Amino acid sequence: MSLLSWSKSALPTFSRGGIHPDEHKELTENLPIEDFIPTSVSLPVSQSLGPSAEPLVVKAAKVKRGDVIATVPGGGVSLHAPVSGIIKNVQTGPHASLVYDTVITIQAKPGEDDPQFPEQAGWQALPVAQMLERIRDAGVVGLGGAAFPTYRKLTLPKDAKVDTLVINGSECEPYLTCDYRLMLEESEKVVLGSWLISKIIGVKNCVIGVEDNKQPAAEKMRQTIAELGLDKMDPPVKMTVVVTQTRYPQGSEKQLVQSLTGRLVPKGGLPMHVGIVVQNVATAIACLEAIRNGKPVLERVLTVSGLGIKTPKNLRVPIGTSVEDLLAYCGGYSGEVVKILLGGPMMGRTIADLGVSVTKGSSGLLFLTAAETSITRYQPCISCGECIDACPMGLEPNRVSQYMEAGRPLETEQFGIRECFECGCCSWSCPSHRPLVQFMQVAKAAYRRHERKAK
Amino acid sequence: MSEAEVTPTPTLHLSSGPHIASGRTTAQIMWMVNLALLPALLWAWAVFGWVVLAITLSSILGCVVAEYAVCRIAKNVSTLPDGSAVCSGLLLAYTLPPGIPIWMPFIGGMLALIFTKGIFGGLGYNIFNVALVGRAMMMATFPVEMTTRWLTPAFGNVDAVSAATVLAQIKLGGQEALAKILAAVPDGGQLWFDFFLGMRAGSIGEVSVVMILLGAAFLLWKGIIKLYIPLSILVGVALMAPFSPAPEIYMLGGGIWLGAFFMATDYVTSPTMPRGQIIFGLGIGLLTGIIRNWGGYPEGICYAIMLMNILTPALNDWFRPKRLTADGAPS
Repeated sequence: MSLLSWSKSALPTFSRGGIHPDEHKELTENLPIEDFIPTSVSLPVSQSLGPSAEPLVVKAAKVKRGDVIATVPGGGVSLHAPVSGIIKNVQTGPHASLVYDTVITIQAKPGEDDPQFPEQAGWQALPVAQMLERIRDAGVVGLGGAAFPTYRKLTLPKDAKVDTLVINGSECEPYLTCDYRLMLEESEKVVLGSWLISKIIGVKNCVIGVEDNKQPAAEKMRQTIAELGLDKMDPPVKMTVVVTQTRYPQGSEKQLVQSLTGRLVPKGGLPMHVGIVVQNVATAIACLEAIRNGKPVLERVLTVSGLGIKTPKNLRVPIGTSVEDLLAYCGGYSGEVVKILLGGPMMGRTIADLGVSVTKGSSGLLFLTAAETSITRYQPCISCGECIDACPMGLEPNRVSQYMEAGRPLETEQFGIRECFECGCCSWSCPSHRPLVQFMQVAKAAYRRHERKAK
Repeated sequence: MSEAEVTPTPTLHLSSGPHIASGRTTAQIMWMVNLALLPALLWAWAVFGWVVLAITLSSILGCVVAEYAVCRIAKNVSTLPDGSAVCSGLLLAYTLPPGIPIWMPFIGGMLALIFTKGIFGGLGYNIFNVALVGRAMMMATFPVEMTTRWLTPAFGNVDAVSAATVLAQIKLGGQEALAKILAAVPDGGQLWFDFFLGMRAGSIGEVSVVMILLGAAFLLWKGIIKLYIPLSILVGVALMAPFSPAPEIYMLGGGIWLGAFFMATDYVTSPTMPRGQIIFGLGIGLLTGIIRNWGGYPEGICYAIMLMNILTPALNDWFRPKRLTADGAPS
């Protein structure tokens, strides 16, 4: 026991709060990534943060794998046809977070001349500006879930002093194992992608953070770094793998930066302000494929899991694959499902319509039964302080909730709502099952409305 | 494909995240506190007899009936299953002399529940500790019964047939009374040991420090209470001990231990941050000492806790969590 707690405390982690929910990774961690291609895909045009794309195709048009089918006017992240086929429809359809969006449906008709995106010669030596262009044109966004356009994150302001790239292999959300599988099965791509990103932002130091419960992935990554000889490439990059404590939300940028480098991101600031850029492992692979193969983001790996699905899987699916198709492919329901989520159980979104499809930011599809999820009436705050202890940012969710109940949303800023990134540690810990994250969200919305009115 | 089609689409719940929870509930916490209070009751039964169980039941019944009525009248969901009314009833009974007429705790429990918790909005909204307000109201309503109905413990050296507890005797009689008490202890007997174990006259739940610590250890192990408040209360009380004619009796007698571990640690009426909790605890300890040594009562913890309950909202405003930012300052 003492040895265990000693070794635990010896691993780096963030300084405040955090929780350790049941991991449930055993459902899928040993399942290799499988490919699944449905007969049709439906792509909402809003796939990332920022302005939405507009469709460039009309009904009955023919598209080839990799064709741009929607783009943001004035430049932005484009959306590509993940499969060759015929446009079945361009109409309003369900969206995981926006409820409704313009959805492009493609009837898949794979042909023999479909582009395969082979490796292009001389990719290592491309000028940085061209690399960034390829990342943008490939529609790469943060695949960890945030879906922030990657080319924008990598285009640093002139005065930025960045010295370290952090690659996020934490995958701290319970159930999810897709990043773990990618690190095990495609470690070379992760390492080469990380090297490319290091080159783009001009750093010589790259740290890959992996949680303690994914030791085999950390091992594999270390081995691959040694085999590829990153320190002998041009430019050389010193790449290290750091195993962190298994503690949610280890994969949150600010927390991971502190765990790995000890640096604290200033209030309202970005990791960039302390010399760091953070990218997820799957995003590193997408960057590599964009630059080396000219391949857009056409598919993603996600974990289909939960006690409510018959055969949980790690799957590589085209963007736009519907929940309905994934449900059928994974054997259908098992037990009484009460919630279906896109994403992890801490920050994922519930869906109401099986027609909702996988977007670039969907890292998981969970079918939760009543036994795994909490659906209960909430009770008054008893001021136990558990939420404050759990909050990794040092905020006061209890008081935000009390002010919200009292109908005073515009007095909640003092308790830190602007620093809240909705990790959910507070609600998870609350013995009164209070929807503290929701109170935070409603408070933020009240400020947004108030500020719009003031303008 | 066909298999999924036969399964009907379930009723899906929509909500904001997170979708999993720690599993700990308010009801669990309250019932664990109730469980932790049982050793002290068991001890009281052993030294004072069956009557303590009747008193405790009467007090619990008063609280439960009032809670039920308040929930009905306010048209709220009944909060009885969460165990907090039972907890208030138990704690109130623990502050009463074991010889009190059995109907009085029922009245006290009802009054406490209605005026401290009910009209303030129920669970989570009370400003004062429910049990302590009950005790204070009973002190005002039944002053004779609350201060004279002591019982002699079934075993031990302290002769308490007289109408007052040791602390009250010292309060009234000073050094002379103390000398008399000490003289009554047979050779080789240790007065402090009797007090520690609980062989003395006193309120039902306060007499045995050992039993209180046993329950408190359980709560600490379960992570329900933390040591900031109890320890700082004991430190505060200890700082005032030199002013007492009998420091060891002063530290072990009365309701300090019950108050420190079970009353002052009530989540609703105590501060949430460690620094606030330390100030809160020290304040209680010092006030207890001031009341006992220079005030009009032999006991002080009840009023000390209630006074510091008043300060809790302010302490929560003054002592805030440190933000995880470069400067760490609360905005």
